[in-house]
Amino acid sequence: MNKDKLKIGIYELTGCAGCALLITDCEMELIDIFNAADIQSFLMVKSDNIEGELDIALVEGSVTTENEIEELKDIRERAKVVVAFGLCASVGGIQARFGNKEWKENYQKIYGDMEMTHTKPVQSKPIDAYIDVDLYLPGCPVGKEQFLHFFTRVLKGAPPEKYPRPVCVTCKYNENDCLLNKGIPCLGPLTADGCGSICPNHNLPCTGCWGPAEGANPTSEYFLLKEKGFDIEAIKKRMSNYSGTKLAEFFEQFKKESK
Amino acid sequence: MKKISVDHLARVEGNGGISATIDGKIVSDVKFSIYEGPRLIEKLTIGRTPEEDVSMSPRICAICSVSHKNAVLRAMENALDVKVSPKSYLLRELMHMGEFIESHSLHTFYLALPDFLGFPNAIAMASKYEFEVKIALEMKHFGNHIMKTINGRYIHGENAVIGGFGKYPAREELLQIKTRAIHFMPFVFKTVNLFCGIDYPDCPDAPTLYACCEPGDNKFGFWGDEILLSTGKTFHRDDYKKLTNEFVVSHSFAKHSLYQDKPYSVGALARIVNLGERLEGEAGKMYKKYYSSKWKSNPFFHNAARSLEILYSFERIPELVDEILKLKEDKSIVDYSAENGKGTGLVEAPRGLLIHHHEITDKLVSQVDIITPTAQNAEDIERYCHVAAQKLLDEGKEDQIRDRMDIIVRAFDPCISCSAHMAEVRNAPKNNWKMQLEEVTQKGDPAFIGVGNPTLSDDGAGIKLARELKNAGIQDVLLESEIEQDEDLWINDSDRPLIFLDAVDFNEDPGKVTLLPLHLILNNTSLSHRLLPTVSGLINYSKMKNTYVLGIQPDSLQKGNQLSAPVEKALNEIREQLTNIREQ
Amino acid sequence: MKIVKLKKTNLFLFLEIISKEADFWAPVKKSPDKHIFEVIEDFSKINLDYTRTILPPKKIMLPSDFNMFQASNTKYTPDFSHVSKKIIFGIHPCDIHALVIMDKFYSHEYNDPYYQKARDNTLILGHSCWPDEYCMCKSTHTHVVKEGYDLFFTDLEDTYVVWIGSSRGDDLIRLKPELFDEDLTDKDIQNFSQRREERDKAFTNDINFEAMPDLMELKYQNLLWDKLGEACLACGSCTNVCPTCNCYNVEDKPILGKNCSNISRCWDSCTLENYSGVAGGENFREKRSDRLKLFYTHKLQSYISKYGKPACVGCGRCVVTCPVDINVYTVSKSLDNEEVDTFWNRLSKEVTK
Ligand code: SF4
Ligand code: SF4
Ligand code: SF4
Ligand code: SF4
Ligand code: SF4
Repeated sequence: MNKDKLKIGIYELTGCAGCALLITDCEMELIDIFNAADIQSFLMVKSDNIEGELDIALVEGSVTTENEIEELKDIRERAKVVVAFGLCASVGGIQARFGNKEWKENYQKIYGDMEMTHTKPVQSKPIDAYIDVDLYLPGCPVGKEQFLHFFTRVLKGAPPEKYPRPVCVTCKYNENDCLLNKGIPCLGPLTADGCGSICPNHNLPCTGCWGPAEGANPTSEYFLLKEKGFDIEAIKKRMSNYSGTKLAEFFEQFKKESK
Repeated sequence: MKKISVDHLARVEGNGGISATIDGKIVSDVKFSIYEGPRLIEKLTIGRTPEEDVSMSPRICAICSVSHKNAVLRAMENALDVKVSPKSYLLRELMHMGEFIESHSLHTFYLALPDFLGFPNAIAMASKYEFEVKIALEMKHFGNHIMKTINGRYIHGENAVIGGFGKYPAREELLQIKTRAIHFMPFVFKTVNLFCGIDYPDCPDAPTLYACCEPGDNKFGFWGDEILLSTGKTFHRDDYKKLTNEFVVSHSFAKHSLYQDKPYSVGALARIVNLGERLEGEAGKMYKKYYSSKWKSNPFFHNAARSLEILYSFERIPELVDEILKLKEDKSIVDYSAENGKGTGLVEAPRGLLIHHHEITDKLVSQVDIITPTAQNAEDIERYCHVAAQKLLDEGKEDQIRDRMDIIVRAFDPCISCSAHMAEVRNAPKNNWKMQLEEVTQKGDPAFIGVGNPTLSDDGAGIKLARELKNAGIQDVLLESEIEQDEDLWINDSDRPLIFLDAVDFNEDPGKVTLLPLHLILNNTSLSHRLLPTVSGLINYSKMKNTYVLGIQPDSLQKGNQLSAPVEKALNEIREQLTNIREQ
Repeated sequence: MKIVKLKKTNLFLFLEIISKEADFWAPVKKSPDKHIFEVIEDFSKINLDYTRTILPPKKIMLPSDFNMFQASNTKYTPDFSHVSKKIIFGIHPCDIHALVIMDKFYSHEYNDPYYQKARDNTLILGHSCWPDEYCMCKSTHTHVVKEGYDLFFTDLEDTYVVWIGSSRGDDLIRLKPELFDEDLTDKDIQNFSQRREERDKAFTNDINFEAMPDLMELKYQNLLWDKLGEACLACGSCTNVCPTCNCYNVEDKPILGKNCSNISRCWDSCTLENYSGVAGGENFREKRSDRLKLFYTHKLQSYISKYGKPACVGCGRCVVTCPVDINVYTVSKSLDNEEVDTFWNRLSKEVTK
């Protein structure tokens, strides 16, 4: 392998493998991707993987077992730059919405009291709960354009500047008739942009699968939906489905209230 | 200790491994482990709206996200009594074809083919098979394109919703799909000839039971309201639990499943075995050309079956587009008013039968049960690997075990995420049984059953040992003769381990003690026939995982009631070990 | 200025002739009550019965996201693929005024070739309109047009009175002069004036824009801004739909497998968190209220001070778009001490509760 190429490792923790799969979905670019970088490890597509020093590690999935915590720490030690790749890695994914207690209860309901021999499960958390993360690429799954842009920038040694904006921006670019204004509980204003506003493009409300947008205003949308007649529990659930652990502060205020 | 393992199965979707433990001449353990942690998907959507459930539950698995979408939609629409427009119905079938093309071309060309051509990955293969790699990528891309056009994006598209679609695709887009499908045909034929023509490695004869959806109307297809078994038996969708009984195993976060306490297979091969006769057109011709009874007992033919399904899908697409375009414009979403209900949806995911069961109470999801193909295949994957590993070990080809298991697992195209990366072979340490015995007793106080024939010298070892244990005051020790044939053994309802004490001919040095889980013995043709009569009918298969055989290698099986010296010595050691454990 | 008449029944015929060598844009229905500008192939899709489109015609000049040039270490290739001969038909007075304002912006300090070229290749065919309750163009004096168009069609029952605003407009008429009638009858003139009067009366909004620069100055620290900031979703919709918002962001998009980059440009919004972020992580408008102040300073103060008219053309898009009722109307009324029933007002009560 060429020495000048960046060494890249692509890892999967717990998720649906969709974000890693998305890389293979860049069919027309795949060979260029493999030529442009030295892909040292990518279990989904190759078996001759090398686990050594890395320039960049893309980590998909959330952390849900003790082995994964170890694996993650090892990746951090070996990689100069760690990227949280996808919603699971960035916010914990849909599986991170339970609080610790609720998680235990539900875990028991499925697996009972059986002691796992291969590893010990832990409540699902985003990777930044255990290691420092340099860059985030959210999305469930990550968007193809977004990934290719990110990847080519990273190869150039200039990862994209952080410029958080919500789905509404692209939604307006696409000139959709705003659903929120029609009384449909669209989470576009709260959700990080990157998907191309697919759902509103199909007349469907955004359910938030890119995770919370930085700089968003959940309190305002919460009261707005409440005023539009939605049940507050339903709003909270909706907002929590894809926000993982990242809206915890926002939800905290309700706990105080109810006390 | 020796363990042959593929710790991280490569070229599969997700993170899992397979391991085999070798104890002398016996493969004493095979475990298909899923390292991915538990996501509790079935609990995540409880209390959510049906719409949120439809959006979230397909996130179980990316590579089958369209299958999950169609399955959850079928379940929900059954539960809420929604009948979608014919146009929506056909569009959903079309997007399902997209997933089959995408998934099958990814698996056959990129994940499996390197195995049979001897490359570490498809990109490396590209140097020699440039054309194949390139066109197959285009084929995969085409599958993705179909899904995106209809469902909004490649993975986890959201356009398909309860009642139909957020928005129908445009006529021009559908026509383009039709034209492209036709253009692919020459390459599709090449694909079938390639994968049906591969000289797949032999797999020891280990027939299994196959299950898939019954599409109805004597047609081939990827969904239905009944489950069809290779025995000809069918179950209505609501009775899916008659096929699957999911249970938890301690080495995986994926549940396992058994039919009537026996492993079974789902997937492309199951569909071709069960429904191949029904293939029409070019796919029908190819089936007749290539299919043989060999396919039935060798999981490598999954790849051949996949290629036939690719052809089927490519033939179906133009038909579907024509049918769709004939239909009048209608409202893309049908409204519903039901607030309660329960429903099951059956579809064939590329990897096999996928079952979704969802219940709605007062407009909110109250119960979810999802049974994925890989969870159903897990037991059979372990069984095939065990059979193959034992055979290689018998032939003295231990060095090939690891690779063989790796390829077998991959043949099932396991989707780890939905079941939970890969192969390991381990050699057991000397006196491994002592450690194992400790492990077993940690799960609970074991009960013992002594079996054998006391009149055939060493064959009476089990009986003798049982008697001695009894005399030593150990409880729950039974003799073979004390069990009634049709007795409903209390042990089936207990979590406690059960250990058979028996003289077993492992072809080892006399007196060697081996502790084996019972189900592995049953996979082993040379060992099973002796034990089987006693245990069949007494123990459930799922219980078998918690049932062991403490086997002692006999020296002599002559008439007489004297035990040989090595066996006598072994009995003493076992007694000692058991008392030690008790005292701790 | 020349004025001619066109029988409505001849409209499509005329459009057919003029649209042969250009992309023809006109309003179409997007949803039951929303319209958008789209390239038209089938004239029957044109829907002139609209008040405002979701996005203003600025999208036709400068798409929301387009490529400016390709650059490598040695080469620079400008990309003007967004420029083509275009005709925009059916555009209303407020939007024409907005284009005139944009013309100024993009030629003011430096010439923006991407805008200029697109604009030079575009013919503006305006169309009369009828205000709804959100239109504020009378207050901004943008309800009638004197410049900025090539042709302007006023709808009078079965005929159009067509104002020719430029020599390019005149050239269009000359493509098929027999369709037009140069003699307007007294009746026509009477109809025209009557329509104008009735339309003037139909405006229900009245905003004192002249007072705004001073009020903005005086109330720069007013609590009002906190209330607005509390409610603003920072969604960027208001700036995207506003015909006079013109901020943009430039991005380097390297091309995989090649040693060069596309440099692209997309619409930006002052309401977004990082808008005022600078290198080094500093952000001098971290608060939503500060960013809204910027928006309204632009719309209600700075431009008026400079050019004597607001940078708002009263199109009402912000009014119908902002989910939390932050718009030129409610903000200027509040600055003018009028109580307005808005979500942001109610929210501030709810939150302080
Ligand atoms: S973020 Fe979504 S697509 Fe990616 S691994 Fe997690 S569940 Fe799958
Ligand atoms: S439809 Fe949703 S995403 Fe689009 S502008 Fe409205 S709120 Fe934002
Ligand atoms: S849910 Fe929202 S973020 Fe996810 S694809 Fe739909 S619009 Fe995009
Ligand atoms: S500020 Fe509002 S009313 Fe004024 S031009 Fe912009 S969108 Fe139209
Ligand atoms: S003012 Fe309204 S439209 Fe503008 S960013 Fe804030 S919430 Fe969005």
